[in-house]
Amino acid sequence: MQATTQPVFFKQGPKPFSLLLIYASLSLALLLVDVRWQILQPAREAVSVLLYPLQWLATAPVSAAHRVSDFLVSQTELQRENRKLQDERLLANAELLRLNALRQENEQLRHLLATRDAQHGKGALTEVLYDDRDPYTAKLVLDRGETAGVKLGQVVIDPLGVVGQITRIQPLTSEITLLTHKGHTVPVQVLRNGLRTVVYGMGKENALQVHWMPLNADIREGDELVTSGIDGTYPAGLPVAKVSKVDRNPGLAFAQVRCLPAADVDKHRFMLILDEQRALPPQPPAPEPFTPKKSRKKETL
Amino acid sequence: MPVSSQLLKPVKRSFIFFTFVVAMTLALIPWGQFARAILPDFIALVLLYWCMNQPRHVGVGWAFWLGILLDIADGNVFGQHGLAYCTTTWFAMSRHRQLAMFPLWQQALYIGPLLLANQLIMLLVRLATGSAFPGWDYFLGAATGALCWAWMSQLLQMPQRVDKPAEIQS
Repeated sequence: MQATTQPVFFKQGPKPFSLLLIYASLSLALLLVDVRWQILQPAREAVSVLLYPLQWLATAPVSAAHRVSDFLVSQTELQRENRKLQDERLLANAELLRLNALRQENEQLRHLLATRDAQHGKGALTEVLYDDRDPYTAKLVLDRGETAGVKLGQVVIDPLGVVGQITRIQPLTSEITLLTHKGHTVPVQVLRNGLRTVVYGMGKENALQVHWMPLNADIREGDELVTSGIDGTYPAGLPVAKVSKVDRNPGLAFAQVRCLPAADVDKHRFMLILDEQRALPPQPPAPEPFTPKKSRKKETL
Repeated sequence: MPVSSQLLKPVKRSFIFFTFVVAMTLALIPWGQFARAILPDFIALVLLYWCMNQPRHVGVGWAFWLGILLDIADGNVFGQHGLAYCTTTWFAMSRHRQLAMFPLWQQALYIGPLLLANQLIMLLVRLATGSAFPGWDYFLGAATGALCWAWMSQLLQMPQRVDKPAEIQS
């Protein structure tokens, strides 16, 4: 009775405690609903749109301060950063160069592996130790020798073609004579038409040459020469050279055919020693010593 | 000087609303982790101030709706802030006549535990809904809130002060 008739001056609406009970239970209900069923997302989204201006207002000074401080970065700091970045770039460049070299090496090795597989898995991978010291010869020294089973006359190839053959073996190293060594010959065949001939090395700096070709021989620029396999040293079918120039000068007895080796003869670090035992035909019997026939001599006289 | 012993102008509703907007903006500023732990809960402070000094304008209802807004702004579960604010607001309101007689530092002694209760309720809610314990520095805000109380009361009272107290007293 007293509560209903209390003066307006003291009236404070519903009692705070009942309000508390109402709102607290409402909070708890919301809490449960939100945790259990997650169905209040739309309401959340709607109200967050209303809150966005306030959020913008709250973050604007901070982002503005960031922008201003970005603008007021001192000259020395910029210079220092610039120098640091350049240093880092140099370092990164050096790393990159090494990486490129490694990548190329990796590619070569992969090609060699593929080549070895094409040769039915026979062959030993080898690394070039050094270029021969003798400037007059075209030779390389490899890191495989007698102990690794290297034999004289074995053919060395790289991913692109024939490099040369092994001409000297030592216990731990061996020496290959390159295709380009002066006087080194490889029996070849023109891939296009099967024409057989021989490629001569012309010395370290010069290209290969095919000697003794008639002027009208069917050989053209761009022809690929592969080993013919008739010598018993080089297995048939390995690329050797590519014809770069054919000079048919009527004043000369033979056409001058210049070729370039198919392999990068002195560029690679890794090469493949082919291990192919070829059954050679037996040696022809030694010719009988020449004995002049007296009867014929008489006739001629 | 206790609030009750001063002669004050009636408060404007628009000013109350404005203080809540400012508090909400302060709460929405992306403080770093350290500052967030140190800084008081601005909305709770403003809410408690108005509940103590203007219980006819601001009450449990305000607390609830502000709590909902904060829950949405922070992306919390609904009702976390609402529950805490309602409870502490009621505590402040139920004693507002008594509290108004105390000097500000004694009020702060009452407000500090209320802020702590706020955080405890929220902590309980979060732990019940499966969140991790945020660390003890979470409770630092209550202490700084109590320290801020006197300063903030003076600030919020400013528009209500009579312009020339000397003339009135004379």
